[in-house]
Amino acid sequence: MSELHTPQAGDDRAEDTDVVALLMRQHGDIRNLFDEVEAASGAERREAFRRLVRLLAVHETAEEEVVHPFARRSFPGGEQIVEDRLAEEKAAKETLATLDDLDTDDPTFMPQLMALRTDVQEHARAEERYEFTHIRRSTDVTGLAAMAKAVKAAEAMAPTRPHPGVESGAANMALGPVAALMDRTKDAVRKAMGKDG
Amino acid sequence: MTFNPLEQRGIPLDRQLRSWREMNVKPIDPDRCDPYTRCRIITMNGIEVEAILFSHQLARHCPDPEIKRQLARTRYIEAQQQKVVNWLLPGVSSVLETTIAYEQVAVDLTAWVARMEPDPYLKQAYQFGVLEDFDHLYRYANLYEMIEHRKAEAIVDGLTEVMPGRPTKFHHRDPVDNVRDPYAKDGTNPLSKLHALTIMSAEQQTMNFYMNTGPTYMEPIARQLYQEIGLIEEEHVTHYESLVDPGETWWEQLVNHEYNECYLYHSFMEQESDPKVKAIWELHLNMELEHLHIACDLMRRHDGRDPESVLAPELPNVLTFEPNKAYLRELLDTQIDLTTLGAGYVREAHERFEAMQEQIHGGEEPPSERVMAEHDAMFGREYRVQSEGEHPDPAMREK
Repeated sequence: MSELHTPQAGDDRAEDTDVVALLMRQHGDIRNLFDEVEAASGAERREAFRRLVRLLAVHETAEEEVVHPFARRSFPGGEQIVEDRLAEEKAAKETLATLDDLDTDDPTFMPQLMALRTDVQEHARAEERYEFTHIRRSTDVTGLAAMAKAVKAAEAMAPTRPHPGVESGAANMALGPVAALMDRTKDAVRKAMGKDG
Repeated sequence: MTFNPLEQRGIPLDRQLRSWREMNVKPIDPDRCDPYTRCRIITMNGIEVEAILFSHQLARHCPDPEIKRQLARTRYIEAQQQKVVNWLLPGVSSVLETTIAYEQVAVDLTAWVARMEPDPYLKQAYQFGVLEDFDHLYRYANLYEMIEHRKAEAIVDGLTEVMPGRPTKFHHRDPVDNVRDPYAKDGTNPLSKLHALTIMSAEQQTMNFYMNTGPTYMEPIARQLYQEIGLIEEEHVTHYESLVDPGETWWEQLVNHEYNECYLYHSFMEQESDPKVKAIWELHLNMELEHLHIACDLMRRHDGRDPESVLAPELPNVLTFEPNKAYLRELLDTQIDLTTLGAGYVREAHERFEAMQEQIHGGEEPPSERVMAEHDAMFGREYRVQSEGEHPDPAMREK
């Protein structure tokens, strides 16, 4: 594989004035992490999987807080499109929770992870095609930028690269369980959107 | 192995129609498939699209309603074949991912044909063209990382390198310089006819794909890059189609088309690693054998000639998708600065070339250069896959 490192969305030098562009790059980051988990083994796989879980949790939370509510109220049929996406997200979260309880060396781990990879990829493309196109059509540059700011705030909660010097298990543990991470993400997003709590 | 399609009988035409259930093929997994399986799918789609379009053109020139009906029957089956083949591509792939696969086809198919082509003038035409598709792959790969944060390596999978070829901005030539000289239909090696038809069809489908999918992008740089490379595909179709002898009759051309389909389905059946896809190549070969027999009958009836007189006595060696890294590096080292003048090739930027360049660029950087600048602004580097070492041309090494 390439040794080139692609910074995660929000961390690259893009202006991030368009929430759709930002989320699409984040979809790529998630796929990259699936590849990383698959390619690694032992402790490295465990660590890569932790990063994948965090990014998925934060990404989905941000979408649920920022783009789905916008889509729901902003274009005809938005409600149904969001319902479909939420159903996919719910199924993915359930698989993720199952995987989260497994050891990454468990023989059932990889087959389940690969099934999740396919589901997440289909979900991401469906968002891009049926939801994001409408979002770009239904808002102006100010709206896209405001939503981008909120998603960026969320993403800061889940660096996909461990920070130098703190990539130990202890540092990962410090981020706490996924549910707590989701709560903190919600707070960060709401603050960035200008609604406290 | 020897295989003479003229001596084989396939499935009778009235048993070739497929139901919706049979047409409903399972797509390949884009992240786990053999990249060359995807290349074979894209190639055969281009071949089937050409078969359909050629048959329509022939029908439009055909005053006899009975022959029109006969062409319509075969063409309907070919349209089903196209649907089955192209529907092997998965819906989860983005347009840009499919585009990168199209460019991998253009690189490794054209390079292989250039290596095998016996005629030196035709060989030069493929060598010239492949360095341009090679550069397109590099530009799209950089766009891909910007939009989707993914690396083209995940698509080409180490089989094809990604680095600059002849810079895309220099592909815009005066249209008259895109017209080549044709082979002579009676003197040329039959393999050369198959090569020309194959590459022409592949480039034509690439042109169709970019001209229709380019505007589905919202990102300004993506829209513009598809416009620029789409126009170069127009040049490539002009370049390759002019290699075919226009003195071939309509019926002779029809026979060549059907023969080439047999050749390619046979080739791909021999190499296919995915058993489900292999079964499709085999089925389609058995259909094409019958289409070939129908075409041969039409040629005998309307031209009063024997198809054997224009075809090879047996199928040539299988056309193969395989890495061509060393060959491409040799071309990069020796032919990167070529352009065309009339039907030949030169190294200097001649007057007509300069005039075209000045007009089309209008004193600004074209999209193919701006995509690199925008990628650099985002990542502080460019995207390449140089698995075999540095770029052979020192001027093309990353600064």
